[in-house]
Amino acid sequence: MIATALSSLILATLAAGAVLALQHARRWRAGQPAGVDIVAGLKALPGRYLVDVHHVVARKSFNARFHALTAGGFLASLPLLVLAAVPALRGWLLWGLLALALAVMLGGALMVGYRRRVEKPAELSQGRFKRLPYALLAYAAAFLVVALDQLAGGVLPWPLALAFVLAGAWGGAELILGVGRGPLKHALNGALHLVAHPRPARFHDRAGRDTGLRPADLEAPKLGSERPLDFAWNRLLGFDACVQCGRCEVACPAYAADLPLNPKKLIQDLVTAMDTAADGERRTDASYAGHNHPGRPIGLAQGGAALPLVGPGAMIHPDTLWACTTCRACVQECPMMIEHVDAVIDLRRFQTLELGATPAKAAAVLEELRVTDNPGGKPLARRTDWAVDLNLPLLAEKGQCDVLLWLGDGAFDLRVQRSLRALVGLMRRAGIDFAVLGEEELDSGDVARRLGDEATFQDLARRNIATLSRYRFGRIVTADPHALHVIRNEYPSFGGHWTVTHHTAFLLELVESGKLTLKGPTGGSVTYHDPCYLGRYNGEIEAPRRLLDAIGLQRVEMERSGLRSSCCGGGGGAPLTDVAGKRRIPDVRMDHARATGAERVAVACPTCTLMLEGVVGQRPAVAEISELVLEAVA
Amino acid sequence: MRTRRDPRAERQAKLVPGTARPRFLVGAAPAGFANAGAATGPTGRPRRDPRASRAAAVVRTAPRLRLDWTNKGQASLAIGTAQAAAAVKAAVRVIEEPAFLVLAVLDQPGGAPSDHDRQLIAGARLLADAGGGAVVAVTVEGVSGLGEAGADRLLALPADLAEGYEPERHAAAVLAAIETLKPRHVLFAESADGGADLARRVAAALGERLFAGVEALSPDRASRRARGGAAEMARAPARLMSVAADALPPHEGTVHEARTIPAPAFEAERRIGAVRPLAVDPDLIPLTETDFILSAGNGVTDWEGFAELARVLGATRGGSRVVCDEGHLPRERQVGASGSLVRAGCYVAYGIAGAPQHLQGITEVKRVVAINTDLHAEMIKRADLAIVADAQEVMPALIRHALERRAERQGKERRNA
Amino acid sequence: MLKVAVLLSIGRHPASGRPRRAPLDARALELALRLPGAEIHAVHAGDPAEPVLRDYLGMGLDRLTVLEIPAGSDPVPALVAHLKALSPDLILAGRCAEGGEDSGMLPYLVAQGLGAALLPDVADLSAGEGTATLTQALPRGRRRQAEARFPLVVSVHPAAPEPRQSAFARARRGLVEAVAASAPQDGFIGECEIRPWRPRPKRLRLAAGGSALERLKAATETKSGQGQVLVRPTADEAARAIYEYLVEQRVIGTS
Ligand SMILES: Cc1cc2nc3c(=O)[nH]c(=O)nc-3n(C[C@H](O)[C@H](O)[C@H](O)COP(=O)(O)OP(=O)(O)OC[C@H]3O[C@@H](n4cnc5c(N)ncnc54)[C@H](O)[C@@H]3O)c2cc1C
Ligand code: SF4
Ligand code: SF4
Repeated sequence: MIATALSSLILATLAAGAVLALQHARRWRAGQPAGVDIVAGLKALPGRYLVDVHHVVARKSFNARFHALTAGGFLASLPLLVLAAVPALRGWLLWGLLALALAVMLGGALMVGYRRRVEKPAELSQGRFKRLPYALLAYAAAFLVVALDQLAGGVLPWPLALAFVLAGAWGGAELILGVGRGPLKHALNGALHLVAHPRPARFHDRAGRDTGLRPADLEAPKLGSERPLDFAWNRLLGFDACVQCGRCEVACPAYAADLPLNPKKLIQDLVTAMDTAADGERRTDASYAGHNHPGRPIGLAQGGAALPLVGPGAMIHPDTLWACTTCRACVQECPMMIEHVDAVIDLRRFQTLELGATPAKAAAVLEELRVTDNPGGKPLARRTDWAVDLNLPLLAEKGQCDVLLWLGDGAFDLRVQRSLRALVGLMRRAGIDFAVLGEEELDSGDVARRLGDEATFQDLARRNIATLSRYRFGRIVTADPHALHVIRNEYPSFGGHWTVTHHTAFLLELVESGKLTLKGPTGGSVTYHDPCYLGRYNGEIEAPRRLLDAIGLQRVEMERSGLRSSCCGGGGGAPLTDVAGKRRIPDVRMDHARATGAERVAVACPTCTLMLEGVVGQRPAVAEISELVLEAVA
Repeated sequence: MRTRRDPRAERQAKLVPGTARPRFLVGAAPAGFANAGAATGPTGRPRRDPRASRAAAVVRTAPRLRLDWTNKGQASLAIGTAQAAAAVKAAVRVIEEPAFLVLAVLDQPGGAPSDHDRQLIAGARLLADAGGGAVVAVTVEGVSGLGEAGADRLLALPADLAEGYEPERHAAAVLAAIETLKPRHVLFAESADGGADLARRVAAALGERLFAGVEALSPDRASRRARGGAAEMARAPARLMSVAADALPPHEGTVHEARTIPAPAFEAERRIGAVRPLAVDPDLIPLTETDFILSAGNGVTDWEGFAELARVLGATRGGSRVVCDEGHLPRERQVGASGSLVRAGCYVAYGIAGAPQHLQGITEVKRVVAINTDLHAEMIKRADLAIVADAQEVMPALIRHALERRAERQGKERRNA
Repeated sequence: MLKVAVLLSIGRHPASGRPRRAPLDARALELALRLPGAEIHAVHAGDPAEPVLRDYLGMGLDRLTVLEIPAGSDPVPALVAHLKALSPDLILAGRCAEGGEDSGMLPYLVAQGLGAALLPDVADLSAGEGTATLTQALPRGRRRQAEARFPLVVSVHPAAPEPRQSAFARARRGLVEAVAASAPQDGFIGECEIRPWRPRPKRLRLAAGGSALERLKAATETKSGQGQVLVRPTADEAARAIYEYLVEQRVIGTS
């Protein structure tokens, strides 16, 4: 009798869960169509879960362990409970296996309880999430007692046994019904998201990295996303997979500087908005029980699936949208493989292209870009003003060269010119056959694209590609990771395919091949700040470090480095939108650098140079890697 | 520094005064150009040498430099002007029967002729002297001293035109003068104080083309900028021209008769009324429009003193990003790449390091004064007057000094009255 | 309903020489868009195929009328004829174009042609019954208020509010309506000699009372500031030096 009650309750819960999940799925299925290879996705699913997701989760080994125990035990217990519905199978083997599975799960559940109730990391959400450890414990412990009791032949008096069954069933209902909207979203939505992920190439079974933005069709009736329903269905599914783990919140540089942006809340804003029926119903964010966007009260934001997402009184405040530096730290940390940056860019595209609502100086810079092809509105001929004495060879005059040096817009800035001079000096010493485009080089389009101005980006990209296609050269070398990313990862969609090398990798080659000889250790300590667009966007974190080691500097790492480095605040047009917070992002990053005690911060990006040099007060000196190498060459 | 030659000015310097047609003293090189060391000019008057007067102001150089500006430097200048005045009294040129007339329609912001007006008269003089013409200054009643500026005739319009803002009446008055006098040329001041507007009203009413904003003028050629400043457009001097500020040197050497001639009657429709100036607190003027900015950086800690100083000097307050971040000044007071790009005539920077993003905001500023404790600060390099000192000490001293000077001035005025 | 015409021209970026929306005309349009309940008619005289015209549409206009006239001809007669038929209450234009003759005459000629009042250098305005109340921007940040009767031509000052951003999608969707118009060839420009601008030293303002020679010298010097440095003076010395300098630069008055 107890066994029947047990299995029928579970079957009923599963059935109810299935109905709920189907109903729930309607919300994301209402999104725009997307070409998804479901079969390939399904095949790749186990691998993606066990490799890619595990890889992220395992950055916290405790979490990986309790996930394995809890999920393993739970998933094993479910079929056993279902089998218990067949009286013929009810034997010691079934009960024994069930007890084992539940015991394993109980271990995991206790760990979850420890984490949520004792450690209490601040980034975790409360509300529905608070009940999770109780539900896990109830399910595992109560059913364990029932299984053991059955194994022993039913020694408990039946009312007591039934009470255990009911307690366990409550836990089970919490968990299974929570698959739709609660803590266990990852079980279903997470898995489906892995199947239908908008960027399958980011998984280990494909290229392993996919960071370039997708081109927008400028002929489309609506450009960018205005409402939740304007996103493709698999993107909505992705948002709906968020388990509010808060890893993105911890990683976000804007959040750290108290700018009004919390990526976890951003995703939850989207989820809350899509939760409504598509007929213009409104819903506020009052049910959200985590940290909000800094400086903004909970309960004021409101929106719906068919309502505009961005606006002062809408779900997402414009300041939140424009505070993002597109640094991808959130994407890097998200165990659900959610693509926050894509969402931000889609929303920005609508704001810029449809509404003309790019804030602060950004709008004026976009206008200058359109008319002068550089963000400062300067004559393009002045890009090489700093090098009049260096006689930079022009590709137009040489016709061909081994290395095309892409100068970038940093070349208009006095500070950056210093590091470019160092780089040119090193290339001359190494006898490199190089040239520059001079007046023919236009802005790469990076800033325009991150600010949502896809039209200006595409125009610049097409014209740059046309220019580059006219010449013969071996590869492009640039000191600007933003230009590198755009040319390497985003120009291919427009027919531009070139090998682009970052100057740190290039200088390392020169040192390792002996073309540049070093004086021997120069001494002094240095900490290296990874540019987001080189590290996370392109996975290049080794070359600059090896270069610093080669010149004999004592290298110390900051609290965040490599792929998990923290942004300088300069990406995504953030210096132009200039959203105010309590602090500035570079000040936070400089704190990390100060904490290492290093004498200098080595940077490998013109934007990082400017952002970090803008920090006032006592701080390590900021040195571009080319400058450090130039100091060290014999 | 290499002195640059300016043929126009050299020619002007060699102009021999007192004849109807211009005559030039060609042989002698003007001392200002060829002979920079000379202490006197071609007329034998002592010249002021700023470097020498600064040298004269040095009280001591060690252990640190001290300058005394109340000293002899000023005295020698005073002698110079007295002599100049005496020299100028001598020659009054009278043009009885001019071959033609050139009108200079003065701007007179606030009722008194401005430098720009003098330049205008000089421009008219240039055109008149090329063919025996006479210059008519179109001014308002009660203005004197235009003979020195080069005016042969004065046509005085009703004084209230200079006081109120009645552009339609003003234009009608000038139109009446043009109709009566039939001048060969009419020059206006291309100024935002009303001259530019007046010129265009008159040109539109006459249905004639205005050659606007003349940057260089000779008897046979006038040129101006066009195409967003990218091109120079030149032609023979048009009948109606407006002259940019500081494009022409003021008239020197001769004194003209400045005989008053009657102003013709005029009539105008009035469609503009209820005119009133809006009170402006210098500190509330947008940074992009103000002419005088007192700016603070991270080196300023005495914020009350800073505000007081701005009030006393009548300056608009600005600041670096750091001080706006910290809330010492509102965000719209931020100068720099991510704040305002300012174009003030004078920018006084207290305790600002001069980061590139800050300097980007002041590229259009004409004069920079920097006060900074660090001799090597970029702002010190950018400054025209740099003071290596503590901002907190200089601010109260400057307030005191300004108040004292103001009191002195007021005392003097009271005695004069 | 308040009928507003905005006259729009094509600007030219000073650095690249490429066409763009003229900054002051864009401000004129911005002022018009801010007038509550105004019926806005945007007019350009020139080439309807010029893509940059769409930048004005991107500010939120549904349509833009282009009086089609050949390049280098005088736009005023065509504009006046068009505006006479339209008979707007208020006509807004930038006070000076960018990239052409830049004489700033156009608003005056239009006002003359229409027999309308004109108020220059407007930074802000509001419309009432038959009149408008306008704020004029004067040098050094001063402001003046005035009222003027309709029909009124207003020339817009750089101190007017920044024009809103032009949105690509709106620009793409807006309608450019070409209207045939006749225009006389502009003879005056033909009489002028045009060549690239060469910067020349600007005369310095010098306190009145200097000798002729000093003024001459001033006329030939581009920059007199020699970067004078006072290292660690006493506070009073520093104050005096700064004060003198400010007086010399005429930033603070002596009278
Ligand atoms: C993208 C970006 C945009 C930026 N935009 C702007 C911008 O628009 N505007 C802007 O201003 N900055 C901007 N910055 C910041 C800029 O880089 C500098 O950080 C900032 O200008 C420094 O301000 P400061 O000179 O007041 O402070 P500091 O750099 O701290 O300099 C203070 C100066 O005061 C001097 N000083 C100290 N004590 C005294 C004293 N008692 N008396 C006199 N002098 C003293 C010091 O010697 C020093 O030179 C930007 C930075 C970035 C990265
Ligand atoms: S991309 Fe960077 S700044 Fe933007 S939300 Fe993610 S972590 Fe925050
Ligand atoms: S978006 Fe990803 S990292 Fe952020 S809370 Fe949701 S699941 Fe966690």
